[in-house]
Amino acid sequence: MPTIDREANGDLRVALEEYEAELLRRVAGEMKLLLDADIPHSDPVANRLFPAAYADLDEERDYRRMTRDDLHEAKRAALASVSEGLGEAGSVETTLASGEVDAWLTFLTDSRLALGTRLNVDEESMAREVDPDSPDAVAMSVLHWLGFLQESLLEHISQE
Amino acid sequence: MQPTITPERTDDISHDESAQADRPWLVIVWNDPVNLMSYVTYVLQKLFGYSRDKATQLMLQVHNQGKSVVSSGAREKAELDCYRLHAHGLWATISKSE
Repeated sequence: MPTIDREANGDLRVALEEYEAELLRRVAGEMKLLLDADIPHSDPVANRLFPAAYADLDEERDYRRMTRDDLHEAKRAALASVSEGLGEAGSVETTLASGEVDAWLTFLTDSRLALGTRLNVDEESMAREVDPDSPDAVAMSVLHWLGFLQESLLEHISQE
Repeated sequence: MQPTITPERTDDISHDESAQADRPWLVIVWNDPVNLMSYVTYVLQKLFGYSRDKATQLMLQVHNQGKSVVSSGAREKAELDCYRLHAHGLWATISKSE
């Protein structure tokens, strides 16, 4: 279980066991591949990570031209911050200032959106117990675990 | 087109900053099955300075009704708000109010 403590100055101290840290490193590695790959917009994952703002095609093209690079860079920066905190190997004990907490929340969100979109989840399948015999069982469990970690972080910053 | 001037409308404009003549752009957040309810609430509080009650109300509207207008205003503001929502992984779109 991840251990999260809030320090007096509001920073969060996060401790992850080795297998938890390894899991996050693997997810971070996959997110890096995904963000470096420049996947086409027809891909549902790209479509979810970089959603259209306008229904109108011309307006959307302008909006995309203005925002796409920044959005990509913001996701990359969040991922880089988390990767740095995770280090190369072993268990993790790290202190996150508020900017870093945001990076973790963004990384967890992007990873969950990518994974959830690939798994084609809906409200119903998200609410169901994971079926251990399903071919998606591992991926679904990862999706829920990432959500559990995100929820724990949120609980510790939402105290005020 | 010939502009039509009606005194009633002019009166409206002086009272209402989001006047009919300049309908605001709406930023809409759509429901998605992945994002946590607590996270959506957190993002709405953080980005727009909403109270926890107001952010929770909007989040519940997204969750129960499929979507909610979370901010509105001039086009530039709507685009910035939409961008910030996208940067936080929320599914947001912009449309002109009716």
